[in-house]
Amino acid sequence: MIPLTARLRVRSPKANFSVWLPLFLIWLLLLPLVVVLLPLVILVCWLFGNNPFPAVGAGWQMLCGLRGTHVEINEPEQFVLLDIA
Amino acid sequence: MTQARRDILEMLSAGKITADEAERLMAAVENSPATAFSAEAADTPTRPKPKYLRVVVEDGHGKNGRGPVNINVRVPMQLLRAGVKLAGLIPQPAMEKANLAMGHKGVQINLGDIKPENLDELVDQLSDLTVDMDEHDGARVKVFCE
Repeated sequence: MIPLTARLRVRSPKANFSVWLPLFLIWLLLLPLVVVLLPLVILVCWLFGNNPFPAVGAGWQMLCGLRGTHVEINEPEQFVLLDIA
Repeated sequence: MTQARRDILEMLSAGKITADEAERLMAAVENSPATAFSAEAADTPTRPKPKYLRVVVEDGHGKNGRGPVNINVRVPMQLLRAGVKLAGLIPQPAMEKANLAMGHKGVQINLGDIKPENLDELVDQLSDLTVDMDEHDGARVKVFCE
């Protein structure tokens, strides 16, 4: 299943913000772009001698695999958190 | 009851073998290595496959002694699997360049050798992996699967 939400929190002397990203809405917005770019991806795969279907499948699996990623860096003056769910 | 025992009892009830023969067959089935192996496998609880690779870095002093630094990274195993599959699609000239660049950095590995077919075995081995490094300056690095 593709990631549906992401949480990004940055705390530093220059910036201090926390963002909750509804990725499911972003995927919906990007869907027309994907449809437009898909023939181009297939063309590039054929140019490099690759079968486009495994390439698209692997790309999809990478997207799905992002779910559960958690990166947290905590320094005295900086804090960065990225959580994809 | 195993299938072998059931077959022996069916043969006995059908009158194809005598009670003595059935007893000898039962003993033979119980002592066979295959039966012992399957019983052992049934007793061993199946370990759940790891879902994440976790890297934890704790540095009590931090860079230039500015204070403690904690890094906590969790990478889904599915992402690693997909990454290996994607790496398998890299064209050969690009693969050779990547191998060369990694060799210059001291990592002697051929990316072409990592196949998706071998990945499950690799991930199974990773489940036993725990890297725990304590450095003299107070830094601690832990890599493990969960």
